[in-house]
Amino acid sequence: MAKHSPVIGRYVTIDVDGYEYKVFYLRNGQGQPLVCQHTAGCHNHQWRGLLEDEAITRDYDVIAYDLARHGKSDPPHNREWWKEEYLLTADHYMKFVVAFCDALELKNPIFMGSSFGGNLALQLALHHPDRFRAVIPVEAAEHAPGFFLDWWRHPHANAAQVCASGVWDLMAPQSPDQDRWLTWHYYTQGSEVFRGDLYFYSIDHDLRGQLGNIDTRRCPVIMMTGTYDYLTPPEATENTARQIPGGIYIEMEDIGHFPMSENYPLFAVYLREALRIIEERT
Amino acid sequence: MVMSLRDWAVRFSEASDRDATIGAMAKYFTCTYMWDMGTAKVIVEMIDGKVYRINTDPRPLDAYDFALRASPATWREFARPVPEPMYHGIWAASFRRDLKIEGNTLVMMQNLRNFTVQFELLRKVGVPV
Repeated sequence: MAKHSPVIGRYVTIDVDGYEYKVFYLRNGQGQPLVCQHTAGCHNHQWRGLLEDEAITRDYDVIAYDLARHGKSDPPHNREWWKEEYLLTADHYMKFVVAFCDALELKNPIFMGSSFGGNLALQLALHHPDRFRAVIPVEAAEHAPGFFLDWWRHPHANAAQVCASGVWDLMAPQSPDQDRWLTWHYYTQGSEVFRGDLYFYSIDHDLRGQLGNIDTRRCPVIMMTGTYDYLTPPEATENTARQIPGGIYIEMEDIGHFPMSENYPLFAVYLREALRIIEERT
Repeated sequence: MVMSLRDWAVRFSEASDRDATIGAMAKYFTCTYMWDMGTAKVIVEMIDGKVYRINTDPRPLDAYDFALRASPATWREFARPVPEPMYHGIWAASFRRDLKIEGNTLVMMQNLRNFTVQFELLRKVGVPV
């Protein structure tokens, strides 16, 4: 008897600023849409635990897509993309997510992203508060400088290993070896886009002085960060949440920057709390 | 009691040469690096994934490709079986603690997979400070 997962993968084609993207997404569950963004230079397998978590999928329609140029989502089919330097901007990134949600006709989705997806969640709460029921920025901050590095695609080094081992200690040492090495494996696959993603993460994303304009009555913001995250340490997230009127911060003990991928059972404890708060407030 | 440099070098060499994760991709893991622990310094010479030599008494002109430098207290934190946050890796400690990465960083990046695994062997071997 074959052992099939209930998770289904599909492609949908969307247009973002004239770029034609054929987007791959994984989906499982029913009810409230929960749209999930992977971390920079990675892909949707980071959400593998959540996608098969029956305690979540019985009430939530979990949708984890690959951002264009990541995983099974190709670069734009209508552009000579190899002649342009890839540098992701907040504006294009937001348009991508909104176009994807529109294409799937999702009503009031909750958006959850980690790292550069977490920073995007803050951008969406600020600029598109009525398109999303709530956002869950994971491992996010108002500003995250320091990771837009040339090492990620340096031609004199093995970029796959530099990316994968360069993010290794973003994970907590307590997280299971199997899951940490899977995450390492994923990170060997996205080295050509990692640096361009981090242009958004460390350069273009800067909400300093703007957090007070986020209206959490229209779009609640529940932030979560792990204690082993050196890139966005807990104090950075807490300081960000404190500046958002009505913003909530949850600290996750003994986990790092890739919580959904490095230790899903532990992450799920905190995620259920975040979802409970959203149910209460909306 | 702090272990002697000589004992540490033996233990570290054995642990590294026996490590299956390093062994799985050992070929070309060739570089020479210094670990400066303040009161103790070592230069580790790697050739094709094996510890070729550990210099436990480096002289001023002894050569190496790159160096990690931090206080003895930080190295002791690295060597805990489960390090506290921000002492759990070379990136974490260089971003948030007193670890300095110096020298030809490109060589470290070229060997980053195995060097990272090897650094974490300190959690089993300990440090001589």
